[in-house]
Amino acid sequence: MRKFLLTLLAISLLAIPAFGAEPIKIGEIATVTGDFAAYGVAEVESIKIAIAEINAAGGVLGRPLEVVMYDCRTRQEDMVNAARRLVEQDKVVAVIGPSGSGLCIAAAPIFNRGHVAHLGTLPTNPLVTVDESGKVRPYNFRICFLDPYQGAIMAQFSYMNLRAKKAAILYDVSSDYSQGQREFFIKSFEKSGGKIVADEGFRGEDVDFRSQLTNMKDSDADVLIFPFMGKSLPLAVKQARELGIELPIVGGDGYGDFMWEISGNTLRNTFWVSHVDRYDPTLKGFFDKYYEETKTECQEFMNAVMAYDCVYWLKDAIERAGSTDPEKIRDALEQTKNLKLMHCVLTMDEFHNPTGKDGVILRCDETERKSLFFTKIRPE
Amino acid sequence: MQFTFSTFIQQIINGLSLGSVYALIAVGYSLVYSILLFSNFAHGGFLVVGGYACYFLLTQWGYSVPVSMLGALIASGLTAIITERLAYKPIRERTTTTLYLLIASMGVNIIIENLFVVTVGGRIRALPQNTFPTGVFKIAGITLSSSDIISLVTAVIFLTLLQIFLNKTRWGLAIRAAACDIRTAGLMGVNVTFLISLVFFVAGILAAVGGIFLSVRYSLYPQLGSITTKAFIAAVIGGLGSLPGAVVGSLILGLAEMLTAGFISSQMRDLVVYSLLVIMLLIRPAGFFGKAVSEKI
Repeated sequence: MRKFLLTLLAISLLAIPAFGAEPIKIGEIATVTGDFAAYGVAEVESIKIAIAEINAAGGVLGRPLEVVMYDCRTRQEDMVNAARRLVEQDKVVAVIGPSGSGLCIAAAPIFNRGHVAHLGTLPTNPLVTVDESGKVRPYNFRICFLDPYQGAIMAQFSYMNLRAKKAAILYDVSSDYSQGQREFFIKSFEKSGGKIVADEGFRGEDVDFRSQLTNMKDSDADVLIFPFMGKSLPLAVKQARELGIELPIVGGDGYGDFMWEISGNTLRNTFWVSHVDRYDPTLKGFFDKYYEETKTECQEFMNAVMAYDCVYWLKDAIERAGSTDPEKIRDALEQTKNLKLMHCVLTMDEFHNPTGKDGVILRCDETERKSLFFTKIRPE
Repeated sequence: MQFTFSTFIQQIINGLSLGSVYALIAVGYSLVYSILLFSNFAHGGFLVVGGYACYFLLTQWGYSVPVSMLGALIASGLTAIITERLAYKPIRERTTTTLYLLIASMGVNIIIENLFVVTVGGRIRALPQNTFPTGVFKIAGITLSSSDIISLVTAVIFLTLLQIFLNKTRWGLAIRAAACDIRTAGLMGVNVTFLISLVFFVAGILAAVGGIFLSVRYSLYPQLGSITTKAFIAAVIGGLGSLPGAVVGSLILGLAEMLTAGFISSQMRDLVVYSLLVIMLLIRPAGFFGKAVSEKI
């Protein structure tokens, strides 16, 4: 936090004489502590990089960007408080982050009441941008694809590429993200002709899954499906292998390179849906810069890339709106079409979700100790 | 899913293994409770200190595994003593209401957690895989990992050492006397301030052992201490203040969690387990080995 404030100070000191104009305030909410701390830290760092680049290149509408960041501690009540502060006190033009669906959904009413647009970095649950009745939430947007899409990618990959007919699922009952992926995986996998032979749950703060895994082991499955994220993921993989389960494991976009430290070689034969390929040459410049700025390898690369591109997406929207009026920025975000960003070409659909993105499947390689591109899936 | 005998045994092993980790933490809770009659929620913080101390000694400063572990035990023990001196002693001297100590301990827990968040960051870390011998044994379809065995054995060793210390040494006698009545013990010439520091040091050591185990088997992060909620519940089941009670309570909780998840429903696990806890407390409010049984240690 102190480092962050100092950087902010440094940026503003550098920026003010250059511009002499009042900065445009962007809100950011990140999970700097709590269960998703690793993801949140990556987002904070990459947003700093994007802001510094934009300010160095002259800012937006001739004004520098400034970030007001709050930590939501991966807790919904802190998320709501942070959103309220940004909207009511800091009067930001729009808010970026965090990555958790449950967090974004919890704060959605605040943004809609306050008429400030919110850009989710990696919240993949449908209810982030539409309400329970299926009506679009006017002020909520996201840059990533959704759980139904992701569930379908996992199902299609398991059924077609891994030729699995029977799947055993372990999911986090306390997470919207996990519940959503599980539901859409089941729907899509059963539609293809597959069968769910075990369906086990745990709670977010759990660290021991051997009881559930023992049941999954006895279920005669061909593949294990792990649609959850955070520290539970590497622990569950490790415990599954310790119980002697050597089946392929397929998971959603919760993968991060930090998992190697905990699971080590037990990550062999695991496959993960990703929004980006870490070793895509077009992203190399960004990751080099990330290393230069933070002196650490970017492990939670999906969050970093998404958060970075969110800043450029917002910059584009402010420029098209020609104003810092949050209403006009919202309209511009809604009309985003064929916007070239670092990791994709972004077009918004009527439900404020990106259309036509490919799902990348990564495979963990135990000799290289990293996840490598395996295939691309675009579900029907 | 077919119900087999080997699955049942496997779930029992899973439960005992989880319960043994709860036990190490729960005993530390109970030890402090038996003397000062308050639940020291900062125990989770001591555990985190132990985990990180071991991690940094081992990975950053390159010490050997035994030295790092010893360092972690001392670091946690000292943290516990310092916490007692800075946060609890001034309160103890001013009031006899233990509620203030409880609240202070919650504060200390949050302070320790956030000290780590600010200094080393919230990232999830793991102790190197080879800290403990790794290996998986398979007997008749049942899997037993070496970490299961080590955690069970270590729990037994440390708890036995603790019993010997409490029952065979002069300071153990003093602790037992204080647990009975701390004022009278003071009047009888026991140096109560030193005694309390000693109790906290021992509790800190137990927390560090728990912390090292949790970081090897699971992972290490500033909020790791939150698992002590489970150990606290186990201590309550066994009867707060009773050390055998803490062990029995922990094993019961571990088994209840694993067997419920295995044979009833993993989704309903916490609902079932904690409903049982409430029912048990209605029937036996003092837990299995609580004060009602007169012996507190």
